[in-house]
Amino acid sequence: MSKDVLVFIECKDSMPRKASLELLSAGRQIAAKFSSGLSAVLIGSGVKRAADVVNAYSDKTIVVDDEALTDYGWDTTSSVLQDIVKKYGPMIVLGTSSMTGKDLFPRLAVRFEAAMISDAVGFDFEGDGLKIKKPLYGGKVISWIAPGTDAMLMATFRPNSFAVSEPGQKGEIIEEQANIRKNPGIKVISFKKGESKKVDLQEADFIICGGRGMKAAEHFSLLEDIGDIMGGRVGASRTVVDSKWRDYDDQIGKSGKTVSPKLYIGCGISGALHHIMGMDTSKVIVAINKDPNAPIFQYADYGIVDDLFTVLPALKDELKESREES
Amino acid sequence: MNVLVFVKQVADTEARIIISSDQKSLEIENKYVVNFFDEFAVEEAIRVKEALKDVEITVCTFAPARATEALRTTIAMGADKAVRIDSSKFETDDPLIIARILAAYAKREGFDLILCGRQAMDDESANVGAMVAEFLNIPHVSQISRLSMLDPGRAEVENEIEGGKKVSEVALPALFTAQKGLNEPRVPLITGVMKAMKTEITVLDPASFETPFGAIDNGSSNIRVLSYELPAKRPSVRIIEGQTPRDKAKSLVKLLGDEAKVL
Ligand SMILES: Cc1cc2nc3c(=O)[nH]c(=O)nc-3n(C[C@H](O)[C@H](O)[C@H](O)COP(=O)(O)OP(=O)(O)OC[C@H]3O[C@@H](n4cnc5c(N)ncnc54)[C@H](O)[C@@H]3O)c2cc1C
Repeated sequence: MSKDVLVFIECKDSMPRKASLELLSAGRQIAAKFSSGLSAVLIGSGVKRAADVVNAYSDKTIVVDDEALTDYGWDTTSSVLQDIVKKYGPMIVLGTSSMTGKDLFPRLAVRFEAAMISDAVGFDFEGDGLKIKKPLYGGKVISWIAPGTDAMLMATFRPNSFAVSEPGQKGEIIEEQANIRKNPGIKVISFKKGESKKVDLQEADFIICGGRGMKAAEHFSLLEDIGDIMGGRVGASRTVVDSKWRDYDDQIGKSGKTVSPKLYIGCGISGALHHIMGMDTSKVIVAINKDPNAPIFQYADYGIVDDLFTVLPALKDELKESREES
Repeated sequence: MNVLVFVKQVADTEARIIISSDQKSLEIENKYVVNFFDEFAVEEAIRVKEALKDVEITVCTFAPARATEALRTTIAMGADKAVRIDSSKFETDDPLIIARILAAYAKREGFDLILCGRQAMDDESANVGAMVAEFLNIPHVSQISRLSMLDPGRAEVENEIEGGKKVSEVALPALFTAQKGLNEPRVPLITGVMKAMKTEITVLDPASFETPFGAIDNGSSNIRVLSYELPAKRPSVRIIEGQTPRDKAKSLVKLLGDEAKVL
């Protein structure tokens, strides 16, 4: 059986998310191994521009563009995705372990009796098959999971799990008509757009995270400045969120978001396991803490033992300078 | 009105986990708790009962005997009934099979509302809730931060989705998964704990009831765990020395650029 790969693309501001391009890069390696095809599917309204970008990574880009798909709903999106999967018959369907991915894929997996593996961070090959890497217990253990040989695999991956490869040869764009089925039980009353942050916390390459040591909400502007210089985002520990210095949206850790940026800098964070579990997969970890015995130093690559209020202004200048040089 | 709450007992964050020498199994220290997000689901069910009165709350888990303790915690909080569907003969990591079993139970019992946590803290999969809803052919809303019951047979929920917050009106029966912030889960009172100790917990063998949503035996699983391993260890921390904070910041930025190559 051919093991064609289909990647479900998510967009932000009408452009494909970085996490989706990562999946296409991973999908390319999988398709190469199985000598199969790689397709991407875009479902939404006004997604044709995104298709041009996506098309440089996939053999086929399937576009379902319809006004009625402007706002995501699992009911409408899954009905369209289901039809596409039926029609094109991939054996491997990849998505992002995002709010949308977590909402959508389980419903779809039931319809195809698929092997559903979610919140994964990597893959490898074992013999003729594919195996998926998934952290358990907040990253204390890594498991390798294989889908059944005859089953369709549906897997969702955390953002920042793969590097985005160079765009390649342009594929083919196929426009499909949508047969949208809405669930009659759900009526959307209102949608309040959130503050449009530059990058999503989970997709950011750079995160500077503040803990209780930041002392007050207004001091987070220090972190915001550094985040802006680096094109990244500001995160927070739970203590900070519970003190209402930052939104729950920004919380990193076991009961918040799991992130794996290229560079994470923790400022005034003690390094409780609950927090570590949400950022331990970052490529490089820096800790700034005045207490040399703070547990976070056990998890960090680099550490500065000092008062963050004196370090951060200097760090801001240094980072700015290094940015301007490059 | 029947409210069903699906809960999972998970290893505590502090629990020690040992990988067997053949890497095929895990030994988990006996420190278990009710899954963090499930507590919000239980609490919300109790609030629905307090508001509407004529409500019965059944908490259900698919788990081995150790989960009895987690069920008692939910009774102590204020749930009426607790059911453990025994997993000992059907041990599985496949969310599809777990959802088939829970959906079969829900169908058999009848329900107006199903609540569960937005994801389990141990595998962070976030699959079973929406899968149960799909099997039962009812709508679901993920990670709700507000629930108000409207009558008759409707609920208004708020949830976070990519890009903002959505408010929806949902016809019951429906399934909602709970996000942190939905409420403040209560700490059981001593009277609740006493009641929980005396409450009989029903144990069901999944083989004993009809499972209309597909096979549940281990052979029907589409997922196989091949091995477990420890995550790659980081080298120990390099503390940046320097006379002044500025010296330290300078050295750090240099190392991040030249050595770590992340700038
Ligand atoms: C079920 C559960 C789930 C949880 N989930 C999460 C989660 O998702 N995310 C999370 O973060 N936590 C979570 N927690 C909480 C977690 O256990 C810790 O309590 C929390 O992470 C501590 O936050 P903190 O590091 O900001 O504060 P603290 O532990 O108080 O640490 C403050 C640090 O700042 C340092 N400091 C103070 N002043 C300065 C200064 N001027 N300069 C430099 N350093 C300074 C101190 O030395 C100290 O190390 C959870 C807890 C539970 C029970």
